[in-house]
Amino acid sequence: MTPSAAISINNLHKTFADNEVLKGVSLSANQGDVVSILGSSGSGKSTLLRCINLLEVPTSGQISVNGEELNLKKDRHGDLEPVDPKQISRIRSRLSMVFQSFNLWSHMTILENIIEAPVHVLKKPKAQAIEDAMELLNKVGIAEKADAYPGELSGGQQQRVAIARALAMEPDAMLFDEPTSALDPELVNEVLQVMRQLAEEGRTMIVVTHEMGFAREVSDYVIFLHEGRIEEQGPPDQVFERPESERFKQFLSSGL
Amino acid sequence: MFEYLSYGDTGFGDELLAGTLLTLELALVSLAVGIFLGLITAAAKLSQNRFYRTLAHLYTEVVRGIPEMLVVLVVFFGASVLIQIVATWFDYNEYIEVNAFVAGVFALGLVFGAFSSEVFRGAFLAVPKGQLEAAVACGMSNWQVFHRIRLPQMWRFAIPGLGNLWMVLLKDTSLISIIALDELLRWSKVAAETSKQPFTFYIAAAAIYLFLTILSDLVRNYFEAKANRGIAPHA
Ligand SMILES: Nc1ncnc2c1ncn2[C@@H]1O[C@H](COP(=O)(O)OP(=O)(O)OP(=O)(O)O)[C@@H](O)[C@H]1O
Ligand SMILES: [Mg+2]
Repeated sequence: MTPSAAISINNLHKTFADNEVLKGVSLSANQGDVVSILGSSGSGKSTLLRCINLLEVPTSGQISVNGEELNLKKDRHGDLEPVDPKQISRIRSRLSMVFQSFNLWSHMTILENIIEAPVHVLKKPKAQAIEDAMELLNKVGIAEKADAYPGELSGGQQQRVAIARALAMEPDAMLFDEPTSALDPELVNEVLQVMRQLAEEGRTMIVVTHEMGFAREVSDYVIFLHEGRIEEQGPPDQVFERPESERFKQFLSSGL
Repeated sequence: MFEYLSYGDTGFGDELLAGTLLTLELALVSLAVGIFLGLITAAAKLSQNRFYRTLAHLYTEVVRGIPEMLVVLVVFFGASVLIQIVATWFDYNEYIEVNAFVAGVFALGLVFGAFSSEVFRGAFLAVPKGQLEAAVACGMSNWQVFHRIRLPQMWRFAIPGLGNLWMVLLKDTSLISIIALDELLRWSKVAAETSKQPFTFYIAAAAIYLFLTILSDLVRNYFEAKANRGIAPHA
């Protein structure tokens, strides 16, 4: 919880109906950290990520981004709700999200996908946005597809565009929700490659993943989530070499 | 038989053409009104507000449950009565005739709006959730998500259904002949009776309606292709 934390979460709870999915999760990521979140299906990984940019509103707990605490107040049922839509929009625009299923806008070309939010949310001049977008497309290696539509690209290409789209917001931190899980095995590497490069550039990233190799080699910190609680956490050497939690050991040996 | 269909004083060709144009005009204006009503009604059906939802469902149920011809008559005579009542408030007691075209547009628009609201509702819901979420996650406002992402994609799901409703609308314009609007069917009837050649004129009218629907199909294909640009047919 140092002030320099890019993202810090304190005692986060989330309940859907009577299903308590997050049971008090705290974590923090400093500027430039890569935090990997592991866990079996249904353990609450996506929910945790979605709470960070308020795609889901937490039931209780605190979230702050770059030292700015999200203003949440209790509504009349005692659940939290956002106080200031402007703040939420601002914080969302500083946290980019990359989804498992890419979620590119299918009625827009690749270039249009990338400049959409910079132009309409950040109010960047269009010419500037296009110039920046082309640079990003070069970086992820698909500049030649700028005028294609998402439906014309392979999954790996679409995910790289989605990463470029996220980068175009010049975010303080990036959230990845299983970015390679929907990809054919031969396409996984081209996406991981781009993510490694981002990590090397010192981007702050929170990555939900099943790619153990990536978690081990690239992250600064690993969190293992089980039934809505953090069961194991620490630097990768520690958690992979000397895991303490029985469940995490099982998870590792189950060959995921 | 062709002299009857010829142009000018001797034939009814020019009258049929005028009727066809009026039919098209009536259908197109009704389409615009109907799409507007349909979009608003669909939005109301999807709204959080229960009052709007109830109102929207009531409108759809009522209009869908009544034969189109009756809707036309109710609108036409209902409007007359209403206008007359309002006029007496201003001490105006002369008979005011309701414009048949306006009444027709209103009636057909009402019907199209009721049916198309279901098409639009389904189309709005068919836009992939993940794409809307991606927009929200970038910090777009609700309005931006709606008009930048949801609205433009909705059309590709709506156009096939709207195309069918347009065909029905085009043919329903003939109902407006009962309130004496000189559209295609009414001119055909006049021509048929005057010339004592009913078969000729009704066949001619049928051919014109058929031509218009075939033309409509081409236009629909164009819009469908446009709305699906860049999207693989199986996607
Ligand atoms: N919007 C929702 N409404 C109700 N229940 C939900 C909702 N979203 C998630 N859940 C429930 O929360 C639990 C955790 O879901 P979550 O998607 O966070 O898991 P996950 O760890 O990301 O799993 P996976 O690896 O399958 O993606 C599940 O039991 C799920 O059914
Ligand atoms: Mg998940």
